[in-house]
Order: sequence, then structure tokens, then C-alpha cells
Amino acid sequence: MMRKYSREFTVAGALALLFISLGIFAPNFYEAQPLLSRFTSQMPALVAAIGITLVIITRQIDISIGAQFSMCAVVAGIVAAAGMPLGVAVLAAIGTGIVMGAFNGLLVAWLGLPSIVVTLATMVTWNEALRLWQQGRLMPLPDGIQWFGISQAAGQGIVIGASVTLLLAFAWAMKNLATGRYVYATGTDAEAARLAGINPKLTTFGVFVLMGALAGIAAVLNMVQSPQVQPNAGDGLELKVIAAAVVGGVAITGGRGNLWGVLLGLLLLANVNPALTHFHQPPYWERAIQGLVILLAVVADGLRRGKK
Amino acid sequence: MSDTKSISLKSILARHEVVLLLVIAVEIVLFSTLGRRFLDSTNVSNIFRHSVEIGLLALAMTPVILTGGIDLSVGSMMGLCAVSFGMLVNEAGLSPMVAGLIAIAIGIAGGGLNALLIARMKLPPLIVTLGTFSLFRGLAEALTRGSKSYSGFSKSFLELGNGEVAGVPTQVWIFLVVAAGVYLLVHHTTFGRSFRAIGYSPEGSRYAGIPVPRNISLTYILAGAISGLAAVILVARLGEARANAGIGYELLAITAVVLGGTSIFGGSGTVCGTLLGYIAVAILGNGLSRITAYQLFDQPIASIARELSGMLTGLLLIVALAVTPLARILATRRSRRQH
Repeated sequence: MMRKYSREFTVAGALALLFISLGIFAPNFYEAQPLLSRFTSQMPALVAAIGITLVIITRQIDISIGAQFSMCAVVAGIVAAAGMPLGVAVLAAIGTGIVMGAFNGLLVAWLGLPSIVVTLATMVTWNEALRLWQQGRLMPLPDGIQWFGISQAAGQGIVIGASVTLLLAFAWAMKNLATGRYVYATGTDAEAARLAGINPKLTTFGVFVLMGALAGIAAVLNMVQSPQVQPNAGDGLELKVIAAAVVGGVAITGGRGNLWGVLLGLLLLANVNPALTHFHQPPYWERAIQGLVILLAVVADGLRRGKK
Repeated sequence: MSDTKSISLKSILARHEVVLLLVIAVEIVLFSTLGRRFLDSTNVSNIFRHSVEIGLLALAMTPVILTGGIDLSVGSMMGLCAVSFGMLVNEAGLSPMVAGLIAIAIGIAGGGLNALLIARMKLPPLIVTLGTFSLFRGLAEALTRGSKSYSGFSKSFLELGNGEVAGVPTQVWIFLVVAAGVYLLVHHTTFGRSFRAIGYSPEGSRYAGIPVPRNISLTYILAGAISGLAAVILVARLGEARANAGIGYELLAITAVVLGGTSIFGGSGTVCGTLLGYIAVAILGNGLSRITAYQLFDQPIASIARELSGMLTGLLLIVALAVTPLARILATRRSRRQH
């Protein structure tokens, strides 16, 4: 167990080290209210990270998820602003995500096009379409959307609860359901998977559709945290969650990784900025440090593979 | 069998470049009829003046993609080189010439880091350059404390970005030299021809005696050097060096390369294709901004040209990619029906 999950334990160790030193040198990092807010604000990224983990395990990549996230947020915002109940907005966001995911999935699974280029193209297309459509305007939301129209604490509870439920459900399904194992099998060796009676094309397609749906859910979980919708809310999200997955031990070559590692990776990367603030270091080092963490993670993967 | 295959492949490639030429021709006809003064000599030089950096990055990206790699870090590298250049000139008092050379050297060093991790340690290029994408941009932000920018460069240096030599923008001459260099390298040297061999089959290339890691390394180092050059040119054009220089340029460069017919899996593609892909993208962006007489979504097209050209570029890329496999799928269906 230690050997099999050594990668995840390393990340957990790094995270524990960070948290302990914060506890010693900057204990006000643990003030309850800001800590809860920071944690809640990472939940949309966590939900998107579940999707990207599935995508990467099938040996694909999706860099259009930031654009999908923004698009779903705007659609949900429009539905909510039209006075529809929040449930309809959620469905609209998920539906929009599914359509965009299915488009990627069709091009990748059935035309055999490389996912990196397909999702690059769809990312540019959705982003620019959105800019054309919304001109970067902030969209104010009606009352009763922020924190679901209840208290902030309860709203945060719902956001965290929903995200953690999704995480648990997917972690369980990927380990225990046949469909979950198809994802790993397709990523490990699509041809072998096919010979074993799995439909790798359908699996790949399904994973992209799920990614879209999860981007929609993430967009709603983000929307309810503020009084307005930013039409570029998803900018850079793709890199953030891909980085979280890689740091968390998901192999970019497919077939390996699990959601617990991704959760740790996300927490590690997301805490770079608050940690810099609490250690009284200038915040503009954040991106450089995140880059270094990603490189360290890949190098560690490479060294481990070399040893085998 | 292998003969017919190579002939049909060749005809597809030939067709690809012909298709691109047609696209460019259509663009020119369309924009010169709908747009204002599209074919004016000042506008034609502006098309290239304002997009040379992307053309350079596309050239830099071509050898990398031919070997089956990818380099997402070139845009961030431009940011790092740009602020390094600005610091060296403004704070260290170096001449733009020396500072420019150092900026290119920094590009080479950054490319060397990518090369080390990808070619020597055999790590996946997508993730390595995603890491350096963050790292280089992050270093640029850290060097400028997040917001500082450098300006006040000498007039003679700004000529590089805004002047003309023999009626052609100065930087376009540099671009032509680099394009000729990359063309000769890729198509007329043993070293450059190995890129496609490596992309087609790394293992086979190794058995054929090609020093695969060394040659892959050099493609990333070259990409770093050209990114550094592109950064200096961008600074000369804008008169300002900022940490956000070149944001998103890597995507435009990859788009130009793939539009130009280079396989993203490596192994096939040409420098001429890349140049055509770049020209098609550059004309699209400029041409739309010349259309003031027509409206779309209640706005003159010129005022939404950036968004529109971005969207159309994305769609064009999807269509360019999907045409070949779609044709193949339809052809196999038809032949199945016949048998």
C-alpha cells in the first residue's frame, strides 16, 4: 500500500509540512471564517478537477474546460436573471456543458483527432464567442441566488457538501464500478481494452461528456458564491486543474491516478498564495512556485518510472 | 501498397497547401471588397508588422511539433525575455543590442530546461512545458513585482518595431531571414530531416543512427531562442516591456502550425505550410478590422474583429483537422457498401 501510493503520500507529506509550518509560524492562517471561505472558493475547481482526472486517465486532455466553465456560468446566469428557479439554472448549465463536452468527445473519439488540438480549438471558439456575446460585462444576479438565498454559512455548507459528495461518488465509482474500470482500461491500452470487450470510443466520448457536465456543476457552485456572474470566470481554470491532477499523481500517459491524490494536489497548489501571504512573502511569486511544483511532480514521476 | 500510400499522402499534403492558398485568396478578395483600404500598402505592412511575433513562434513551433512534441511555454518565455530585456536596458544600462542578445540567451536557457526534461529525462512535453509555462510567466511577474513595466527605450531601438527598411517593416526582414533559416534547416539538412523521422518513429530513428535526444533537445532550444527574439521585437513595437507580453501567443502559434498541415502527432508537415497557416490567420484578424461598413450583432464588424477572428480561427482549425478523417470514414463506408 505504501509503495503503490507512494506518490500520493509524498504530496500528502508536502501538504502536511506546509500546514504544520503555517500552524507554527503563522497561526492566523487557521482563523475559522477566512479558512472556510478559502476552502469554499476552491470547491468549483475540485469539481472540475474530478472531470479532468477522468479525461487524463483515459489518456486524453481537455484544455477547453475553462471556456466551458465560463459559458455554463453565463448561461446559468441568464436563466437565473430571467427569474427562473435555481434548479432550472443548474440544469441549463449542466446541459450546456454536456453539449460542449459531447462536441469535443465526437471529434476526439470518433474522428480520432488529438484532444489537445481539438480542445485548444474549442477553447478559443467558446471564449471568443462568449466575449462577442457578453462583451466582458458583469451580469448582476437577482436576490436568492447568492448562497442559495439562505445564510452564507449554510450556503458554504451546501457548496462544500455537494462537492465532497461528488468527489466521494466518483472516487467510489472509479474503483468499484465496471464503467469506472473501463476508464482506466481505455487509458492503459485502448486496443487491449477493445479486445476485452470494452468500447474505448464510447468510454472516451462519455468521459468528455461527463467533463462538460461537471464543468456546468462547477460553474453553478462558483456562481452562488458571488452576487454577479463574470463572463471570464473560467479563465486559467484548465491549467489550474490539470496542474492539480499532475501534482496529485495522475499520469499524463493515462491509466494511473486517483481522486484523493488530485484533492491533495489541488489543496497544495491552492494554498501557495495564502501561504505566501501568511509568511509575509510577496504574492507575485505564486505562479513561479506553482510552475516549480508541477515540474517537481513530473520529474518525480520520471525518476520513479526510471527505477522500475 | 506502400507506393500508393505515399503517393496519396503526398497528394493530400499538396492539396492541403493548395486549400490554404485558396483560403488566403478568398480572404483577400472578400476583405478588399468589403473592407476599407485593405490592400493599401500601409495596411499590408501592418498585417505583418502586428503579427510577426506569432509568425516567429509558429516557425519555432514547427520543428518541435514535427518531432511529435509540443511547446506551450513559448508565450510565457516571451514574457520572461521581455522583462529581462527591459530590466537590462533600464536598470543595468546595457545597450539594446547587448540586452537583446542576453534576452535571446535567456530564451536558449529556458529552451534548454525544456530540452533537459523532455529529451534527456523522457518526460511528457505537454506537462513539462505546462510547468515551464507557469514558471517562466511566474518569474516574469516576480521580476516586475507583478506590475512594473519598462519603457523609455531609445528611438533607434524602437525603429526595429516601428520603422521600415526599403519600404518593408524592419521586423519583417528579420522574420524573412528566420523563415528562410528554418526552411533550410527543416527541408535541406540531414539534421532537420531527422525531425520528421523522429516524429514518425522515435524508435526507428534511433535504430537508423539518429541521435534522437540531441536532435529533440535542439528543437526546444531553437524554440527558446526564437521566442527571445520575438520578445525583443514585441518590446520594440510596443515601446514597453511587461510581464504579460505574449500571453496566449502559444495557442495562436500552434493554430498556425496545425492549420498549415503539420500533424500534431509529428512526422509530417512543412515550413511552407506553417507560413501559409500563419498568413491565413494574420489576414483574417486584420481584414475583419477593416470592415467598417457592415454590421454584425448591431455592431460594426471592425469593432468586434478580435473576437470574431479568434472564433473563426478556432472553427477553421476544427474544420481543417476534421476534413481528412471525415473523408476517410466516408470513403471506407462507401467501399464497404460496394464489396
